[in-house]
Amino acid sequence: MIKKEVVVIGGGPSGLAAAIEAAQRGAEVLVVDSNLKAGGQLFKQIHKFFGSSAHRSGTRGIDIGTELLEEAEKYGVEIWLNSVAIGLFQEKKIAVERGLDVEDKKLEIIEAEKIVIASGASENAVRFKGWTLPGVMGAGAAQTMINVNRVLPGERILMIGSGNVGLIVSYQLMQAGADVVALVEAAPKIGGYGVHASKITRAGVPIYTKHTVIEARGDKRVEEAVICELDEKWQPVAGTEKTLKVDTIAIAAGLKPLVELAVMHGCECIFDPLLGGWVPLHDKNMESTYPGIYVVGDIAGIEEANTALEEGKLAGIAIAEALDYISSEEAKKLKDETWERLKGLRMGPFGEKRMLAKEQLLAAAEAAKGSAEEHQIAASAGA
Amino acid sequence: MSLAETGFLTIEEIKKLGKYPSEERFKKGPVAVIECIQEIPCNPCESACRFGAIELGEPITNLPTLNEDKCTGCGLCVAKCPGLAIFIIDKAYSDTMATVSFPHEYLPLPEKDAEVEAVDRSGQVVCTGKVIKVLNPESFDRTPVVTIAVPQDKAEEVRGIKRL
Amino acid sequence: MSAFHDDDMLVCRCEEVTVGEIKEAIRQGARDVTGIKRRTRAGMGLCQGRTCERLVQQILRQELGTVPEEIGASTPRPPVRPITFGTLAGGDSE
Repeated sequence: MIKKEVVVIGGGPSGLAAAIEAAQRGAEVLVVDSNLKAGGQLFKQIHKFFGSSAHRSGTRGIDIGTELLEEAEKYGVEIWLNSVAIGLFQEKKIAVERGLDVEDKKLEIIEAEKIVIASGASENAVRFKGWTLPGVMGAGAAQTMINVNRVLPGERILMIGSGNVGLIVSYQLMQAGADVVALVEAAPKIGGYGVHASKITRAGVPIYTKHTVIEARGDKRVEEAVICELDEKWQPVAGTEKTLKVDTIAIAAGLKPLVELAVMHGCECIFDPLLGGWVPLHDKNMESTYPGIYVVGDIAGIEEANTALEEGKLAGIAIAEALDYISSEEAKKLKDETWERLKGLRMGPFGEKRMLAKEQLLAAAEAAKGSAEEHQIAASAGA
Repeated sequence: MSLAETGFLTIEEIKKLGKYPSEERFKKGPVAVIECIQEIPCNPCESACRFGAIELGEPITNLPTLNEDKCTGCGLCVAKCPGLAIFIIDKAYSDTMATVSFPHEYLPLPEKDAEVEAVDRSGQVVCTGKVIKVLNPESFDRTPVVTIAVPQDKAEEVRGIKRL
Repeated sequence: MSAFHDDDMLVCRCEEVTVGEIKEAIRQGARDVTGIKRRTRAGMGLCQGRTCERLVQQILRQELGTVPEEIGASTPRPPVRPITFGTLAGGDSE
């Protein structure tokens, strides 16, 4: 068994931010990442980020990724690549399958004082007739193909979903040389930022709101897609079907937090559709209901890279404080600054609902903590 | 129909904000047109401007406001805006022609003097344009800015070109 | 429209479970994701339900009119990602 002070599961923006924050204050930090390169989704984000210019906005995600990896190296963060956390057991033990080739693969058990779960999210599937045909894929998968592997998934794309992921990936597919034939959105309004939508409409992509895909047709792979209009009850309107010649259907129907490890270790979750489904409760330090286990980034509620970075920082600071690398006064100052920035990122019509959902989650975590303490007091009084 | 339904702005939606440059200012030469109407957390345009012509402040979800007298139409903000929502319009380019500068993150880039199909916010071709310049310095961080000349009456409509 | 209620449509790709089989499991008494999993193996394949769990939840909601809290999620068990037998056999014996 290997012993580590801090283990971060997942080297995306939130995980790296937590690792950097804790390591620069003296903690010994190991990041476990399943990919060939750490950075999570950042190395797929070739667009310039929103956010505050004081904190890297206007910088492309890929460049933020490079900066984070440099910082992690500077502060001595150890990174295991090709390493998959396959289980989390009490008391804070992580099972990791390490190695790329079958011959090299090895199971390591790590015992950690503090664990940060930054496992991210998976893409939601949508089912329609023919959805299992080759050529139907997640928008994130298409983005990995073009921006990481430099392979075009197809030449004529239908995008499903108008959240920022659907809009951005549509734009990037065109930058990579594909044509986006149309984007359909079941809701009456576009979900993502208008400026992202305008990038693709300017390139001639029609956006059909109140529409969905009902069928993918093709022999061996997608050759056509049938879309149709939806009524107020989200039901297809007969006679509105349109057949589009496409070879790829990319689905951007939201993300789901990858909570398996947190649940396995007994972290309490609540269901909130605004945050992507089941989400572990956490306090203002990003600590879950299980002491010493922190949750950051998409697993703590689906948001975006900027908020993920700030949440990661919060956990890193809280861990440095808990391990006595910084005083509680210093930690408070740092955490307050981070919370200010998080608040700024969650303002406006797009962030408000998430801000509210996050506040409710924090309140539920406080309540859970309170009842756990009462329970303990009652138990010890009984003894 | 609005931006949230179609994905593109109408000139009416933009002008409704009351932040569109005045006709007097347009007559004086190039000026920035900021087509940003949703309160999203974003402020790089403010610090991109060397002349302090773009004001945004706190919180960062505020909409940018252009001080048209301070704006020189230099175009530094065009490449900086992550939303690709800033354009430089020069209605004083010639007696009949105006120029429109816009970010163009597609390869290949158009050549100077080439005839191109100019498109509006919805991607419809509205006229042909002539490429005046293509700027792509390192400071633009891989967001080339293309300037094309179009008939003056199309300056409010044209916001890009067809991908080559 | 029939395209939306196609009993032959696959839901769990790993274990090849169809909409019809899931509906049948509900008729037999399944009331949550775990109940469906036990009866049909949906969510027990290579991806451990990462693709189909939400689709199964949707069918449960549609058939029973229940809320997400009642439908629940599947219970995660190690390994949460597929690993080789070699890794297990050669693993840390401590």
